[in-house]
Amino acid sequence: MAQDPNQSTNSEQASVKVPSKDPKKKKDEKKDEDLSDEDLALKQQLELYVERVQDSDPGVQKLALESMRQEIRTSTSSMTSVPKPLKFLRPHYGTLKAYYEAMADTDLKKYLADILSVLALTMSAEGERESLKYRLLGSEGDIGSWGHEYVRNLAGEISQEYTKRQIDETPIDDLMELVQQIVAFHVKHNAEPEAVDLLMEVEDLDMLIDHIDSTNYKRTCLYLTSFASYLPSPDDMLVLEIAFAIYTKFEEHTSALCVALRMDNSHYVRQVFVCCSDLLKKKQLCYILAQQGVTLELDDELIHGNEEQREILQEIMNNAKLSEGYLTLARDIEVMEPKSPDDIYKVHLIDGRASAGASVDSARQNLAATFVNAFVNAGFGQDKLMTVPSESSSGGSTGSWLFKNKEHGKASAAASLGLIHLWEVDAGLAQIDKYFHSNDNHVIAGALLAVGIVNCGIRNECDPAYALLADYVTKDDSSIRIGAIMGLGIAYAGTQKVEVLRLLAPILIDLKVPIDVIAFTALSLGLIYVGSCHDDIAQSIILALMERSESELGEPLARFLSLGLGLLYLGKQENVDATVEVAKTFNEKISRYCQATLMSCAFAGTGNVLKVQSLLGLCAEHLDKGEIHQGPAVLGYALVAMAEELGLEMGIRSLEHLLQYGEQNIRRAVPLALGLLCISNPKVNVMDTLSRLSHDSDSEVAMAATISLGLIGAGTNNARIAGMLRNLSSYYYKDASLLFCVRIAQGLVHLGKGLLTLAPYHSDRFLLSPSAAAGLITFLHACLDMKSIILGKYHYVLYYLVLAMQPRMLTTVDENLKPISVPVRVGQAVDVVGQAGRPKTITGFQTHSTPVLLSAGDRAELATEKAGQVNPGPTPP
Amino acid sequence: MGQGSPGGMNKQGLPGERKHDDKKEKKFEPAAPPSRVGRKQRKQKGPEAAARLPTVTPLTKCKLRLLKLERIKDYLLMEEEFVSGQERLKPQEDKNEEDRSKVDDLRGSPMSVGNLEELIDENHAIVSSSVGPEYYVGILSFVDKDQLEPGCAILMHNKVLSVVGLLQDEVDPMVSVMKVEKAPLESYADIGGLDAQIQEIKEAVELPLTHPELYEDIGIKPPKGVILYGEPGTGKTLLAKAVANSTSATFLRVVGSELIQKYLGDGPKLVRELFRVADDLSPSIVFIDEIDAVGTKRYDAHSGGEREIQRTMLELLNQLDGFDSRGDVKVILATNRIESLDPALLRPGRIDRKIEFPLPDIKTRRRIFQIHTSRMTLADDVNLEEFVMTKDEFSGADIKAICTEAGLLALRERRMKVTHADFKKAKEKVMFKKKEGVPEGLYM
Repeated sequence: MAQDPNQSTNSEQASVKVPSKDPKKKKDEKKDEDLSDEDLALKQQLELYVERVQDSDPGVQKLALESMRQEIRTSTSSMTSVPKPLKFLRPHYGTLKAYYEAMADTDLKKYLADILSVLALTMSAEGERESLKYRLLGSEGDIGSWGHEYVRNLAGEISQEYTKRQIDETPIDDLMELVQQIVAFHVKHNAEPEAVDLLMEVEDLDMLIDHIDSTNYKRTCLYLTSFASYLPSPDDMLVLEIAFAIYTKFEEHTSALCVALRMDNSHYVRQVFVCCSDLLKKKQLCYILAQQGVTLELDDELIHGNEEQREILQEIMNNAKLSEGYLTLARDIEVMEPKSPDDIYKVHLIDGRASAGASVDSARQNLAATFVNAFVNAGFGQDKLMTVPSESSSGGSTGSWLFKNKEHGKASAAASLGLIHLWEVDAGLAQIDKYFHSNDNHVIAGALLAVGIVNCGIRNECDPAYALLADYVTKDDSSIRIGAIMGLGIAYAGTQKVEVLRLLAPILIDLKVPIDVIAFTALSLGLIYVGSCHDDIAQSIILALMERSESELGEPLARFLSLGLGLLYLGKQENVDATVEVAKTFNEKISRYCQATLMSCAFAGTGNVLKVQSLLGLCAEHLDKGEIHQGPAVLGYALVAMAEELGLEMGIRSLEHLLQYGEQNIRRAVPLALGLLCISNPKVNVMDTLSRLSHDSDSEVAMAATISLGLIGAGTNNARIAGMLRNLSSYYYKDASLLFCVRIAQGLVHLGKGLLTLAPYHSDRFLLSPSAAAGLITFLHACLDMKSIILGKYHYVLYYLVLAMQPRMLTTVDENLKPISVPVRVGQAVDVVGQAGRPKTITGFQTHSTPVLLSAGDRAELATEKAGQVNPGPTPP
Repeated sequence: MGQGSPGGMNKQGLPGERKHDDKKEKKFEPAAPPSRVGRKQRKQKGPEAAARLPTVTPLTKCKLRLLKLERIKDYLLMEEEFVSGQERLKPQEDKNEEDRSKVDDLRGSPMSVGNLEELIDENHAIVSSSVGPEYYVGILSFVDKDQLEPGCAILMHNKVLSVVGLLQDEVDPMVSVMKVEKAPLESYADIGGLDAQIQEIKEAVELPLTHPELYEDIGIKPPKGVILYGEPGTGKTLLAKAVANSTSATFLRVVGSELIQKYLGDGPKLVRELFRVADDLSPSIVFIDEIDAVGTKRYDAHSGGEREIQRTMLELLNQLDGFDSRGDVKVILATNRIESLDPALLRPGRIDRKIEFPLPDIKTRRRIFQIHTSRMTLADDVNLEEFVMTKDEFSGADIKAICTEAGLLALRERRMKVTHADFKKAKEKVMFKKKEGVPEGLYM
């Protein structure tokens, strides 16, 4: 037995080196009977070495040490057991140690120290770090020659030693030298994660930059960036900074830009641009910026005074081509044909009784149809309700669908035109223009809103939205004012446009303005200055919250004031603390709601476990009737947890508990939180939960669950969800409110005929688009009080979803930014962080030619490495 | 008959209806239709599936993994805190108890067991009890209709015979017997020699379950299964027992012949069930002894029985490396006739490792003798070396037989010690039986 190859070599060596040992072996045989011959020979061999090491003659000593070293190095063994030479040397560890202490200071002593260091690998007691001790005393030879396991052990001991020395404040220079060696070894042997881990332990990540080369920087950075989501606050920035430095060093500008955006550091963003000299790459960088919704002032330093170049880049950054690319995609997969709401409801698939829907008030039904129509045909520029009659030029029927809606319904109907022409500024404005001359205030309000929606995410030099909307903000009619204010908010979300601030700020502090106008003003300012911590706006909103009467703050819309405040601090973490303190002094009606909102917004997308805990703590209280702050707490829980995959899944788990134990107001928010966690990502387990909740006995829970079904399926055309919703529509055919929700959900599922997504995360779930997140949060807060907002007369808040709409397409362009068709592989993304070799990043892929659609969890890679294309265009998550 | 029973369901008044029904009396509204009717859902591992934690991806031991696991722990701690806080404020158990007793009241007592013949609509079905005719009855609303399928066993109300519950046999009893509940006593220490074989089986079966990261580090897929083959009595089953003894994974053991069933389709079904259970209880090890009972080469079968056996093997082939991936299920097969097995069974991907068990050589023989004689009282004159060095071919089982036989001989003569002569005699006896045990009169 024991046919290990190494042992045969060992026995060979034994016979070559010391043939004189054989007679002795016979004698010992009885004693060590369970050892095989080879093992026995080895054992005696080693014993002899040990004896000789203690010999007085340095020559003999040296020879013995040399051969002992040889034995240890050549031994390889099963991965589970200790290598044989080490095993046999165990009993002699003590003697060797003692001898070492007594030894004179020579080279040989260092030699022995090396061997002791290896032996300590198996021998030394936990926490004594003898391996390290002897290593430091040893000859400092090549560290890798003793094998991987040894290096690994050493690394572990170094981190212990380091923490100890940190406490004692003793110098660490000798350690760092060793760390250098180990890191170099790890990097050379494809063990970048271990190198990073060690450097994290000794808090010297900067060293990494010197060791990484062009072959392994990608994997290292991938590891570093995935670290970032799990580290506590200051450390994650440090890690990202290193990743940024490495990417910059290797001129991987696109990745560097992503990291810079993640760090939210505009200085770094600029730096990337300065470093990047290639025009094509710059174009790509602009695409990324456009998707994140970040503006960058292209001054001379960045474009080297090339005016033409500046124009091109600016255009990309302004998202001006978005509509064009989207329509190309739509034509490519042949979905240009407009769809009517009935195509979505698919009534013929429901058995019998649904046709008896006579009891529903038809205005509500029509309103739902308006929304569904808008959602489904979003961005296509044509539909069957709003745009068709105008083409048929029979004057009377113009806007006939518009007038099938009642009062405020007309506002939504007019605004839907904006959604249909989403991103298509010129054509859209031409269509909307005629409604400005209407004498119905609601229609004008809708048209104003439509202008805002058309311009959503698009920036234009001549600012048509501001030019058109500015005048209406100060009109007397509150619905017109709301339309204009909301339009401005949507059009300029995330841009921090000062003109709009000047326009809207006075409204906030005007006590004569009704609460609904002021609510929308706060919200719009929150959207425009999202995540900016703008002090003046915060002060104005706080003032407004303090000065309004208690009854006004009790209004459902008052929540938008605190939400607007919260959006200012979106993702800004600790910066919110002062404001939270102020919020404690508010009127009790709104104070706690405001605190919960602020906290949840500030920590949105950070995965901060402590905040999750405190929000969960809020949900654990049992309250008297009328308190509403638990709703935002639940939403906040989802917002914070959605930062990374693990938090997301664990969040889904915990929400189940909230459902079980929570009061009604929590239960109403839970489906919405689920919807937020899995937005545009129809996970089967969540779908089942929501489907169960959509039959809940509490109608508001059922409504929220229904809407959430729409959210998780948004833009996926998911047949299963569509089927569920059809069943719901026949189940609730008598209940107008619920049916309205079902219709909206149906519209959402078929959002943009399946070409759009609502997910705020993009670039491999690495970046969170703040304005998209803000839009979603606003929508969900509105859903917290479904009855008075969405089912009341403020249903146009549904249009806040526009902010989150992004085409889930991948297009490729050539150097002149013309779309070209390139084969790409699309498949499910695989987490390859920290894996050895060059593993596949996608699985189960199919090859398509661009433009293609990507769904949640998909990733694409170019099938051919053709020169000329730099990188894919607008990419979804 | 059944028409009375839906009345009981009125209690489960329907959501959303309340506000809009102007009439005082609540109108009956049927419950929501099940999402699908007919075949049972693929087992939804119930609460366990929901409670299952997300997988943490880099299997390598690194700090990222540590951080991820800590994150999961944090969330679990928060969950615990929340739940315990809630329990203190509002004990859920009482409420559950109340609900349960209410359901029990509705179910009535005693219940009877019946069979579901056909589902008519969402709330009605035709059932039959063990005695008497079939009935058209209602299904109570709290019965999980997704789980109902024609032919399943149900609980029925004793008077109105409405369906009040569902009997779920979780696992085929045939399979549950296969689970090794009590670890066998044999451990690796009881195996003489076979060092290489032990190492191979450890690498192929135990390590992938305990240290998957080792394989990921290198970038290979761990082997799925091993086959142990060799002469009779060389310790194949013993090694499998030792694996079962040392592992904490679920150990399922089957004998090939168990997979051959009386009725058509039962054999393949059993194989499927076996692997399903193994998957549910994963990580697990499936040990199929005497695989040649089902795994022989395929040829034109004449009898239905042979065809059935071949189908059983085909199912086995599919389970070993078919469309669905088996996660943490490792397979050990054992046979002493590897040459007669179907080549498809042995191809890499199904069975990656073939471990041969040779007849023991001298050293191993010595170890085996030591193991068997270690608990015997031997006389001083016993020289086991003589037997160890003999030229005769012994298997491990033969050696055991010699030792036992020697002991019996000593007993027969009422001696307290086993002498060398006993061993000699025993050896001759065993060798004789082995070589010439076949009566000469038989034609072979």
